[in-house]
Amino acid sequence: MGSPLPDANKPDMPSEQITLTYHDGTSRIVYDSGVERPYPDGKLIVSRTDLDGILTHVNDAFVEISGYGVDELISQPQSILRHPDMPKAAYKDLWATAESGQKWHGYVKNLCKDGSHYWVYATVVPNVRHGKTVGYTSVRRKPSRSKIEAAIAQYADMKQNEEG
Amino acid sequence: MTTHNMLIAPDFSPERFAGWHMFNILIQKRANLNMHLNMPASHAEQEALIDAGDIQVIYANPFDAATLIREQGYRAVARPIGKSDEMVIAASANSDINCLEDLTAGSTISMANNRDVKLIGLRLLEAVDLEEADLNWTVTETYQAAARQVIKGDSQAGFFLAEVFHSFSRLTKTQLNVLIESDLADISHVLLIKEDFPDTEILMNAILNLHNDDDGKEALTELGMPQGFEPMSEEDAEFMLDLMETLMD
Repeated sequence: MGSPLPDANKPDMPSEQITLTYHDGTSRIVYDSGVERPYPDGKLIVSRTDLDGILTHVNDAFVEISGYGVDELISQPQSILRHPDMPKAAYKDLWATAESGQKWHGYVKNLCKDGSHYWVYATVVPNVRHGKTVGYTSVRRKPSRSKIEAAIAQYADMKQNEEG
Repeated sequence: MTTHNMLIAPDFSPERFAGWHMFNILIQKRANLNMHLNMPASHAEQEALIDAGDIQVIYANPFDAATLIREQGYRAVARPIGKSDEMVIAASANSDINCLEDLTAGSTISMANNRDVKLIGLRLLEAVDLEEADLNWTVTETYQAAARQVIKGDSQAGFFLAEVFHSFSRLTKTQLNVLIESDLADISHVLLIKEDFPDTEILMNAILNLHNDDDGKEALTELGMPQGFEPMSEEDAEFMLDLMETLMD
């Protein structure tokens, strides 16, 4: 998954400190303020990664909502946005699906630089060029509140099973 | 001299009609090519013309570009600068529908026959738990006819190509209330050329340089793309098609 991410900076707002461990064994301290950012109406949040999940392209909407600068995102693992409430199994399914050449859809809670978060409906497609997968494009859309509530419940169950 | 065929996707605003003729006249002069301009009135007519197999240049909407590039031997060579394809969902200003959340299952949507607009509109309605099957659809001949249906209360909302919506008369616009306008930025019409077209370089040279003189600028302004065209690489086009792919379901 590329180079390990440095610990997040402690945000000004009240937040919980959490140590996230990624599937490659690296870990990082992040902060969760519990504050939700509204999805920007009418926009798509777009990024591309290489085969290892390293960001190679981010659009303006991605940069704006993440709270990071473009330079802080490009060449970093996509998992810089990983929220501690997201179950590991969701990402495992995402990567297994995309690596098998299929399209993946799912609801994702993403972590911003300042410890706030936003919900998206994400679609990941492999970028196939001349028969070979060279990277992945991820496009996020605004999910409905009912879908977010369902995902919150489902992910809480999945997390409990992971930890139990 | 051989005459080549250029086709313009039918989803442009009616006021751009003269602009496309100006565009065609200028590039014919500058590239010294005979180009016959095909301006189909509908998507069905566009498909019939392309299927007949003698279209060398297409100004295609992004939805059609996927099939044309990946299955029908065209390649993307240019796109308009700063002119992405956006859509508007609007309700009657006199109705009780003031935001997307006010649209409910069973509502009727009026729209012209444009699959890109429908696709993007449906993606925007996901956020209020509405899917295609939850809605009734009225497909009109033109966006103006769709606007009339919305204003008269025959439908609860209309889907419009943003450029066409913004070209409506002031009177029409005051009777409509924009519920949302897309701001996708990465999706645009593209200029496609058949892979075996022999004069690509000379044609592209004429098109990419249109904005460099007054006559060219005038034609481009008439087309609503005053900055002109920029070259599009194979990778640019593939990226846009990947992006479209994520919106299909």
